[in-house]
Amino acid sequence: MTAVTQPSEVDGKKVGPAVRISDLTVAYRTPAGELPAVSRINLELAPGSITGLVGESGSGKSTMALAMLNAVQKPGRITDGSIEIDGLGDVVSLAGKRLREARGGEIGYVFQAAQNSLNPLKTVGKQLLDLARSHHVEDKRALVRQAKELLSRMGLSGDRVLDSYQHELSGGMRQRVGIMLALVLNAHLLVLDEPTTALDMISQSNILSIIRDVHAERGLTTLVVTHDIGVVAEVADRVAVMYGGRLVEQGPTTEVLKDPKHPYTRGLINAIPRLTGDPEVAQPLPGRPPTLGTIPKQGCVFRERCARYAADPREDCETTDPVASEITPGRLVACHPVAAGLPVEVSVEEGR
Amino acid sequence: MLAFLRRLAGHLVRGVVMIWVVTTFTFVLVRLMPGDPVQTQYEKLLAQGVSAEQARAQVQVTYGFVPHGSWISQYGDYLWKLLHFDLGKSVSAQGVSVTTEVLGAAKWTIGLVLAGTLLSFVIGVVLGVIAAMKREGHVGSILSLIGSLLHGIPQYVMALVLVTFLTVKLKLFSTGPVNGLIDPGFNGPYLASIISHAVLPAAAFALSSFGGYLLTMKSSVVSVLGDDFILASELRGIKPSIIFRYVARNALLPLFTVLALSLGFMIGGAVFIEHAFNYPGMGAMLIDSIGNRDYSEMSGAFLLITGAVILANIAADLLYSAIDPRVRHGGAT
Repeated sequence: MTAVTQPSEVDGKKVGPAVRISDLTVAYRTPAGELPAVSRINLELAPGSITGLVGESGSGKSTMALAMLNAVQKPGRITDGSIEIDGLGDVVSLAGKRLREARGGEIGYVFQAAQNSLNPLKTVGKQLLDLARSHHVEDKRALVRQAKELLSRMGLSGDRVLDSYQHELSGGMRQRVGIMLALVLNAHLLVLDEPTTALDMISQSNILSIIRDVHAERGLTTLVVTHDIGVVAEVADRVAVMYGGRLVEQGPTTEVLKDPKHPYTRGLINAIPRLTGDPEVAQPLPGRPPTLGTIPKQGCVFRERCARYAADPREDCETTDPVASEITPGRLVACHPVAAGLPVEVSVEEGR
Repeated sequence: MLAFLRRLAGHLVRGVVMIWVVTTFTFVLVRLMPGDPVQTQYEKLLAQGVSAEQARAQVQVTYGFVPHGSWISQYGDYLWKLLHFDLGKSVSAQGVSVTTEVLGAAKWTIGLVLAGTLLSFVIGVVLGVIAAMKREGHVGSILSLIGSLLHGIPQYVMALVLVTFLTVKLKLFSTGPVNGLIDPGFNGPYLASIISHAVLPAAAFALSSFGGYLLTMKSSVVSVLGDDFILASELRGIKPSIIFRYVARNALLPLFTVLALSLGFMIGGAVFIEHAFNYPGMGAMLIDSIGNRDYSEMSGAFLLITGAVILANIAADLLYSAIDPRVRHGGAT
């Protein structure tokens, strides 16, 4: 295997780099002024972990994913904060050629499956060579060999895929090609944006097991951005829940799913229909997620949809934006009542 | 390869049918026009002071072309000759075959319109890319404005403006015909003379048509820039120069069809421009032949124009399948 770029951090056994996101704020310029889509987010990706970032559409999770590569699209920009990646430094302060080479080189990004992430007029192989040319890869043969290895690892025929155009590949195949292109230069931080959206169930579970296996084999640190809690349950060690541009809860996946603390996380999990049991048990979250313009300027961004706030309106929920506080080790929740040690349940909920 | 040949054969068959339909149409249309060639020539001779008797006889003898008989028999006759590539004799230019006439004029027109079309294509595409890249600034808006304005100016106005300023006022170009004293052929002075005569018409053509390419290219580039794969390539760290090529090739696709089709239509000539510059192309010939009610010349000219458009269509289709793999394989997702 050729180390095309310096692997970010490999100490003894293969483990991806640690990532520390601090006070990250991303704002979009709108006619109404600069509005934050991501607001003072603090998140740590432990070396070698898979973190799931969950949220509804408009929660700012895709903006977060792009920010990981300092690639927030205009009219948005990172206004504050830093993203420290081991062996690379603060991505927010990178620019120009160094930034371009970090993208694809150290940080791999995989587009949503439904999106056409390949040039429709060029074969996958030709685009692989464009990648080589852009990252000054000397040994193109080795790169092609590496690409074929990755593809066959994911159950595809390397020769066939490299000779194919995008329109000749199915959604699941495109997604695997996307993962190959993200990893072929030996990136050790992998960001996947909605990796299973728009795939059928079989392809979904295929892609998820590929993500898990490749993550372990290559020693990666992985961030999976999704709206699907099922995906998180399947692959992630840790989960971070986003709402209105804030991280409202984060912690180990099993703990968060079993015992969600934040009213939003709770609502999100209650909204999932089950295969067994009464479908009526699935309770849709009332209201709509806020858009850039309708995020409350002060107080808790979730209070308008919050069952707890509706039952017991507290003053601090209206006046101050709750800060994430550590409830138990590794478990952070941004909610005033939870921080005050009050029970989240206000009304008796049906057992599940 | 086999699929390609089958495709080509299909195109050719359809092309021949189209040509037959169009020739039939023009055959009928031409004869529906008021006045007939014999009458026109006859009146011309009368105007020259020839007696009525003599004029009638001379018309018949000289041209050997009297539209007697029913349309059906004329039509059968016409088609039969057409199958032998015989377009008949020109009525206005005595004894010259229509094929010679038409090809002679086409030669001039192709030179003019080919140069004009390619010029306007290149200018339009380059400025269109710039307009798209700088669409948020003044440069972009000004280019788009210029594009729309020039696109809106009719060719004959553009031609007259150029003639007035560059030829009449500034005397940069001569007004006379291609110098007859120079030996025609592939030699310096003759070519120079031709080029100096073709520059203005070609410029008029390019100026009045690049606006369309500019606007089309601009919107095409803007739409490709918004495509997912461009962002995806950026996120893979692909070099800007390579991304630029991605954008250019994808954005050019729709323009190739337009270009190929306009190359087909170019045989028809730029009637107004040729007229304004007294340029001996197809457009001028067509107008003359209509004035003379020269049936065979008209039909011949229309036939050539039709054939060129159909050929251009075929070429556009085959070219498209060569540059767009999604068409090549017949299936797109």
